[in-house]
Amino acid sequence: MISLLSKLFDFKNKMGVKMNILNKKLLISLTALVFTVIGPANAEKLRVGMECTYAPFNFKTADGVLSGYDVDVSKGVAEILGLELEYVCQKWDGMIPALLANKFDLIIASMSITDKRKEKIDFSGPYRDSVGQMVARKDLGRDLFDSAGNPDAAAFKGIKVGLERATTYSDWFEQTLPSAKVVLYDSNEALYLDLLNGRTDVIMTNPMKAHLKFLSKDGNEGFELAGPVIDDVAYFGVGVGIGLRQGQEELRDNLTGALKTLIKNGSLKEYALKYFPFQIHNDKWAD
Amino acid sequence: MEAITGWWDDYFFATIVVLKIFMASLLLMVIFGLIGAAAKLSNSIIAKKIANAYTIIFRGTPEILVVLLIYFGSAIALTALFQVFDPSIKYVDVPPFWAGTFAIALIVGSYATETFRGAFLGVEPGSIEAARALGLSNIQTFIYIRIPEMWRIALPSFGNHMLSLVKDTALISIIGLNELLFVAEQATATTGKPFTMFIIVGLIYLGISTVITLFVMGLEAYGRSHLRAVK
Repeated sequence: MISLLSKLFDFKNKMGVKMNILNKKLLISLTALVFTVIGPANAEKLRVGMECTYAPFNFKTADGVLSGYDVDVSKGVAEILGLELEYVCQKWDGMIPALLANKFDLIIASMSITDKRKEKIDFSGPYRDSVGQMVARKDLGRDLFDSAGNPDAAAFKGIKVGLERATTYSDWFEQTLPSAKVVLYDSNEALYLDLLNGRTDVIMTNPMKAHLKFLSKDGNEGFELAGPVIDDVAYFGVGVGIGLRQGQEELRDNLTGALKTLIKNGSLKEYALKYFPFQIHNDKWAD
Repeated sequence: MEAITGWWDDYFFATIVVLKIFMASLLLMVIFGLIGAAAKLSNSIIAKKIANAYTIIFRGTPEILVVLLIYFGSAIALTALFQVFDPSIKYVDVPPFWAGTFAIALIVGSYATETFRGAFLGVEPGSIEAARALGLSNIQTFIYIRIPEMWRIALPSFGNHMLSLVKDTALISIIGLNELLFVAEQATATTGKPFTMFIIVGLIYLGISTVITLFVMGLEAYGRSHLRAVK
């Protein structure tokens, strides 16, 4: 590149200026400036990619401290495995390309484990739910689920259900309760707004989102989570995991083992209770 | 407004980052522009073709794409290259600051190439003839005749390029640099006040670009000062 550009200057141009020596020096120093070479990475030091803007899972507080459930999980894992972590903030769209381009070594950013993503990267075991749950008016006056926790199709007669279009929730609903009257929305916010306005009686969404964006807000005391958490793997995937580049089986198994330890010793539940009134993982993952 | 308490320092340091990117990319942009213009005006067909390819590619592709390609592409390419010589190297990193600075300097430099080329062509042939008649050397002609005439012609467009550079710094948030837009997003995630946070970013950018506009206006007035007596 240097020789190519300085070659340009070796041609006598119309201006008749010979700047080649000066420019060669300048270009060499510039090249050295731009392509900073980072030597071999310390084996014990791993870089973790996350958005840093996704409260309450990974975000920066006003004091500049990186916090959230994902951050707590990463610290817990690092302590067990004796790793030193360095955090890299990366926008969601570029998360997987950045991992593949070696900008960091792990993705701990609330990324759901899906088959499509598994084609490009590897995942540890899950550390957070990817589930659905219903939210209903407290005065609805009927049980939507039977005693075994299965939805009761008869109970859904005569009520309207709000769902987000093209989501795991709408897929599940169409297959499980085809007779229910469904209203589709384009955004999570619209879902809550129409539930509040009375246009729908029940909605189904991610219980963590519902809690943070709706149930915990003033004026919404008349609503509650209804029925059990629905975690049908065929629809909702196995959960949120730690992403890493393929071909690192040992690291992957170590991460999964560390996450299992965090479930067993109650740390994961402790992290969740900082932000939610319930745990957001499945204890079965530790088996 | 109390939502932004605690975020002022973040905005301040992010503004410093934006100004640093601006300064570094301004310098690079002028260099790229001058190299490009020199190549386009040279007698060499190869140099002309390379310069034409440069301006076609960088003026004709979306800026965000160039930023992403340079950031991700350079890391992959350089790592592969360095591993040929030393297999123990795990990765070669191009920091977001330099990848972003280099990318926006390349983009705006391609526009500056045309501005500088036009400005050099706009130098009065009579002035050059006069310099020759006086026996000035090529270098003397360049320094005392071409440059003083050329920068006056180039200045209005050059002011535009500087404003483009300032605004393009916002693109670098996509590769994770802690600049203004990124701070606003982080603050929004915690405070839930997107409007306030992004308005502040807008005001800071407006402030920077106003200073640049005034500076260019001042330079233009200075460039015309020798004509004042003629009016």
